[in-house]
Amino acid sequence: MLETQMAPHDLRRQYKRPAISDQQRRRELSLRRQEQNRRDAQLQARRLASTLLSLEHASGSEDIELVPEPEPEPDSQTE
Amino acid sequence: IAAIEIPQKQWPALIGTLLANMTQRESHAGLKQATLETFGYVCEEISHRDLEQAEVNNVLTAVVQGMNFADNTVEVRLAATKALYNALDFAETNFQNEMERNFIMKVVCETCMSKEVEIRQAAFECLVSIASTYYEVLEPYMQTLFELTSNAVKGDQESVALQAIEFWSSICDEEIELQEFDPESGESGAPHSRFIEKALASLVPMLLETLLKQEEDQDQDDSIWNVSMAGGTCLGLVARTVGDSILPLVMPFVESNIMKPDWRCREAATYAFGSILEGPSLEKLSQLVQSGLDFLLKAMKDENNHVKDTTAWTLSRIFELLHNPAGGFSVVSAENLERVVQILLEGIQDAPNVAEKVCGAIYYLAQGYEDAGPASSVLTRYIPSIIDCLLKTANRADGGDLKLRSSAYETLNEVVRCSNIVETSSIIAQLLPAIMEKLSSTVELQIASLEDREKQGDLQASLCGVLQVIIQKLSSVDETKTVVLQTADQIMVLFLKVFACRSSTVHEEAMLAIGALAYATGTEFERYMQEFYRYLETGLQNFEEYQVCAITVGVVGDICRALDGKVLPYCDRIMDLLIKDLSSEELHRSVKPPIFSCFGDIALAIEEHFEKYVPYALQMMQGAAELCARMDTSDDELIDYANQLKRSIFEAYSGILQGFKDSKSEIMLPYAQHLLQFIETVFRDKQRDESVTRAAVAVIGDLADALGPNTKLLFREKSFYVEFLGECLESDDEQLKETATWTKGMINRIMVS
Repeated sequence: MLETQMAPHDLRRQYKRPAISDQQRRRELSLRRQEQNRRDAQLQARRLASTLLSLEHASGSEDIELVPEPEPEPDSQTE
Repeated sequence: IAAIEIPQKQWPALIGTLLANMTQRESHAGLKQATLETFGYVCEEISHRDLEQAEVNNVLTAVVQGMNFADNTVEVRLAATKALYNALDFAETNFQNEMERNFIMKVVCETCMSKEVEIRQAAFECLVSIASTYYEVLEPYMQTLFELTSNAVKGDQESVALQAIEFWSSICDEEIELQEFDPESGESGAPHSRFIEKALASLVPMLLETLLKQEEDQDQDDSIWNVSMAGGTCLGLVARTVGDSILPLVMPFVESNIMKPDWRCREAATYAFGSILEGPSLEKLSQLVQSGLDFLLKAMKDENNHVKDTTAWTLSRIFELLHNPAGGFSVVSAENLERVVQILLEGIQDAPNVAEKVCGAIYYLAQGYEDAGPASSVLTRYIPSIIDCLLKTANRADGGDLKLRSSAYETLNEVVRCSNIVETSSIIAQLLPAIMEKLSSTVELQIASLEDREKQGDLQASLCGVLQVIIQKLSSVDETKTVVLQTADQIMVLFLKVFACRSSTVHEEAMLAIGALAYATGTEFERYMQEFYRYLETGLQNFEEYQVCAITVGVVGDICRALDGKVLPYCDRIMDLLIKDLSSEELHRSVKPPIFSCFGDIALAIEEHFEKYVPYALQMMQGAAELCARMDTSDDELIDYANQLKRSIFEAYSGILQGFKDSKSEIMLPYAQHLLQFIETVFRDKQRDESVTRAAVAVIGDLADALGPNTKLLFREKSFYVEFLGECLESDDEQLKETATWTKGMINRIMVS
């Protein structure tokens, strides 16, 4: 501890020599794609439920608040 | 030993014994030096609260007296100054007391003028640390500190001058943070003293002066750090701190130096210009950059390597900060783009240090066109030659420590990712076999040493990264997805060979690429599973490189969605490993939320077959939910983690409930009450994140949908949901509103049943 000089902050060294790396970005983009895919999969299951509900409603159940069929979402774009 | 025993009050005599070493007249210098070093170690390890305030005072007095010039040898004063550096946090109470603070500051400032370089450097290191730890009490000392640092920057040895510049960089850090927290200042309670603004007129000329003190070869050696580099870095921070008002102080320097015959002047002018591109307003900067761009493009042909290096860096900063076609603004137009690209592609053939900075410029140039819609078309015609040049650059033999090669590949990724896929599909489709061939040849490489192995790993990691980006890009559109499907077998064979070479970075990159491939191929992925499974298992057991583990968990999710029920044969072992991961104290906590989400993915894929995992999975989920409720709500990082955890627990419930819905929903009945209880706790949490809200509302709907009338009573008891749904239905977030409407419909259905 006492022998080591306080080195200039490593971040400062990066100022004019930034390492070009998008590894972190690749991770994040994959994560985003996975989250989007998961949401789509779960939404798909919920849409099926909604469709059934609308059918039930159409066949005569009363006093149920109408649940609108959600609009299909635009295709997931992870780029 | 003291660090352990003092907080437990098990060594009360220590401080007194050490103090005696300092005060007894017969103590020789060696003993004092050793004692001061010990104080330094101890103060760094313990808190001032671990001692009586009187003891803290005595320790600091001893340290500060050790710095006294008249009474002590050089060695003792140096040890004392270093001890003070380590004891600054420890001196918190003393810094709050004006008289004591004045005294400490006086001694430090005197020590900054000591005859010995090493002591001066240590004293300036103390000032740097004081700048960030005690920013709010510095006002009365700033005049003196400016004079001290200014003299050091202008005339002292480099090691001291560097610390003096670092002092101002630290002040900038503090002020930037204050501004980011609360741009108007005042509300947060922390005072913004505007030291940089007040010192600006003298500070900026002092920093500009440093820029002219370059060393030959400084750009060829990444380990060099000198006054001119530190000065430019500080200038960049000053620009971010004060914005527009730096421009009139810097621009005359730029203009008067940029044409001078001495390369140092031209380089310094360019470095100064590049450094002030972040902070000032777009309005002011765009005018300056529009007129300076042409000059910079010409300067890429300068006779001097450093000038070209700094010019290329400045261009990369310009494209990073002032080129945003998607946002409707850019200094690059359809008219000057051709010249820009031409200059960059010539520059990339220059010396490795220049070529690497040019890669950065291309990286940000391409990035600007991401999500730019039709505006991105202007780049399309240049993409083949850009890709070609980047591949040639990656192949260059003079890439030094391989940094250039990696930069070229990373830039290639950005070019592919940000390109307009409809227009570039055939170019990218051609790139795929070219990269596969390169990766294939790395597998055949002769490995004779550890170094060879490392080089092979780096190259494979880069190439797997490129493949991932290409696969993801091509899969994003139906027309080009077929290219991936047709090549999937060969890609997978290649990845399996790469896995067999073993290197964790490569595993991570290859794993990411395989996730993208599974998404693209869907059910077809089944035929790779038998071979691939063991690497999946290795990844899930990689506690040490937790990123590999986290990525692998994500890929399990991809595979579940791709294979649906066909993933079943692998689930026993996967679930076993996931449960072990969750139970592990060794595994980084950031991997745990994705595991819960993954439970949901598995359950949704294998539906009723998830039944046998329910007792284990739910036990984990309930345990984590309870942990969330107990978490410290004052720590920002923990709040963030708790939000991730909550969201992932809800995602797990959603997947499981939906998976069981058509067959065995009653399995989840015993868990319904606990789930609703947890949702209520989350609902009442004031720091609730939007994404948590969305997941919570969705899971209420899933509960009602899957368990139906069985939950009627439960919902009656837990009427908080009415308020919760009301809040969501009033939200501006369309997606949240849609989910809340759906959930409301599901609950209404059971209430009227």
